[in-house]
Amino acid sequence: MTVSSLMNTNPITVTLEDTFGGALDILLKHRVRSLPVLDSNGIYRGMFDLYDLWELLLPRAALLEGKRIADLAYMPGSEEMLREKLGNAQARSIVEFLDDQESPAIYSDTTVIEAILLLHRRGGNLPVVERQTRKLVGIVTPWEILSQVQTGKDTAH
Amino acid sequence: MLSDSAATQMIFGWSPALYASVVFAAVYIVVITEKINRAIIALMGGGLMILGGVVNQEAAIRGIDFNTIGLLLGMMVIVGITGKSGVFQYIAIWSAKRVSAHPMGVLVMLAIVTAVLSALLDNVTTVLLIVPVTLLITEELRVLPYPYLVTEILFSNIGGTATLIGDPPNIMIGSLVGLTFNDFVSNLGAAVVVIMAATLVPLYFIWRKDLTTTAEARKRVMEFDERQAITDPRLLKQALAVLAAVIGGFVLAHTFHIQPATIAMFGAGLLLLLDNYQRKAEEQSHNVHHAFSEVEWVTLIFFVGLFILVHGLESAGVIGSMAKALLDATGGDLKVTAIAVLWGSAFLSAFIDNIPFVATMIPLIKSLGPAMGGEQALMPLWWSLSLGACLGGNGTLIGASANLVVAGMAERAGQPVRFVPYMKSSFLLMVMSIAISHVYVVLRFL
Repeated sequence: MTVSSLMNTNPITVTLEDTFGGALDILLKHRVRSLPVLDSNGIYRGMFDLYDLWELLLPRAALLEGKRIADLAYMPGSEEMLREKLGNAQARSIVEFLDDQESPAIYSDTTVIEAILLLHRRGGNLPVVERQTRKLVGIVTPWEILSQVQTGKDTAH
Repeated sequence: MLSDSAATQMIFGWSPALYASVVFAAVYIVVITEKINRAIIALMGGGLMILGGVVNQEAAIRGIDFNTIGLLLGMMVIVGITGKSGVFQYIAIWSAKRVSAHPMGVLVMLAIVTAVLSALLDNVTTVLLIVPVTLLITEELRVLPYPYLVTEILFSNIGGTATLIGDPPNIMIGSLVGLTFNDFVSNLGAAVVVIMAATLVPLYFIWRKDLTTTAEARKRVMEFDERQAITDPRLLKQALAVLAAVIGGFVLAHTFHIQPATIAMFGAGLLLLLDNYQRKAEEQSHNVHHAFSEVEWVTLIFFVGLFILVHGLESAGVIGSMAKALLDATGGDLKVTAIAVLWGSAFLSAFIDNIPFVATMIPLIKSLGPAMGGEQALMPLWWSLSLGACLGGNGTLIGASANLVVAGMAERAGQPVRFVPYMKSSFLLMVMSIAISHVYVVLRFL
């Protein structure tokens, strides 16, 4: 069984010209966790997701490797400060938030079990691209896989 | 079988001394260029010493100072487990609040905390624990973290100079020469305190204009609740008790003829036992695995390879020739030799890793003993070597392991500390600390 039978072939996407604020509005409006980012030719360039949002809101020290800051229980923080960080980032280009290594793509002939392994290891959603051109052809989320596995229902759009 | 002390056969048409020197120089060059990880190249170099027949495997193993390795390993495990309790975040936040989160006050407090922890633990581990919370505090204060990170580099090396366990060069000198924890504190402690105070003065004038913030930002830091940083009070009590016992053990070690590595390794074992004995087997396995994964194996393997390399040099007679050259250059005068060792160590340690440098210098200085009037007469040279090698590491960003650890974390946090800007502010401070050490060594030991 490959992901071609269950992927969403009409995902919501954003482009390289979009801003952080614009992408965030789309995440909120559609209640999705991630958005594939495409260039003007429809080529997949990376994933913008909630992880990027959390990275923006957290202190940089908390993002250091090895979890050197084990928790932030001692830091009261404030809604005002979080809002300020969010406000300052609104006009930034979405390109600044892309990291290809975080969301490598899969192909339509990738097996479902491989997709489950990747979802287990990385979380988020999996973009599906054409092998040669890296043109986005769909997206696999945990919900498509769950529907397929639990009910045998093909949710492909 | 080859002899332990000296190889006599020619190797690829080269004398053992030439072969050992070429291997050692090649390793040194690769370590300086940082093209290949230093643990890999030290292991390769050590292997070439054995394969080339300069030393055999038994001799190579005897050349490894397991007291140094054991002391470092034990302390890394103890500090790694202690760090899980959140105590280092507690100390940093507590100290920042004692000065009402005033940016310059925070700089001074973090400098002192870094120096004291570096002396009692080791400076690499200390910066690993202090830098993240420094980045957190400076972000809340809305001040540049750069002055704080540079200050922590400087004070980790200065503080580490004061004790046997503070800095890898001291661990090696103490172990291979037989100097105790108390010897270091009583002979170098006063110099370190003076150098700390003297270093804070120029730092104040360099950064006083940059270190300003708003009352609102200071209020944010004052609202930090350091008690919440303690994630595991039981572990904290256990870890602090073991740390205190280990440091007490270092102080008393000489009286009971116990080596520092025994104390550190036993302390590590005891803390692992206390942290695990009530846990299930699977949880214990996970916990112990995690404790050992915190150990800097790259540094330890580097030491292993390096000890074999230096033993090879010694066996091939190269160290003896270098000692003779040093004696000829200084005329065998103790005062001239001590000052040459101090300044030479400082400038070389600023540009090359001070660990291989000190590993080479120890047998070299030891071999000066007969010409200088016996082992006891060499004491000023050991203190000069320690001061020069530890403080010299402050001269450049590649001068000491702690510097590179800070730079690495700063880079990942988007606040890079670069080679040239660092050197501009720190090289003269290093020279100042060596000038103070010069006066101290002359007045105290010569």
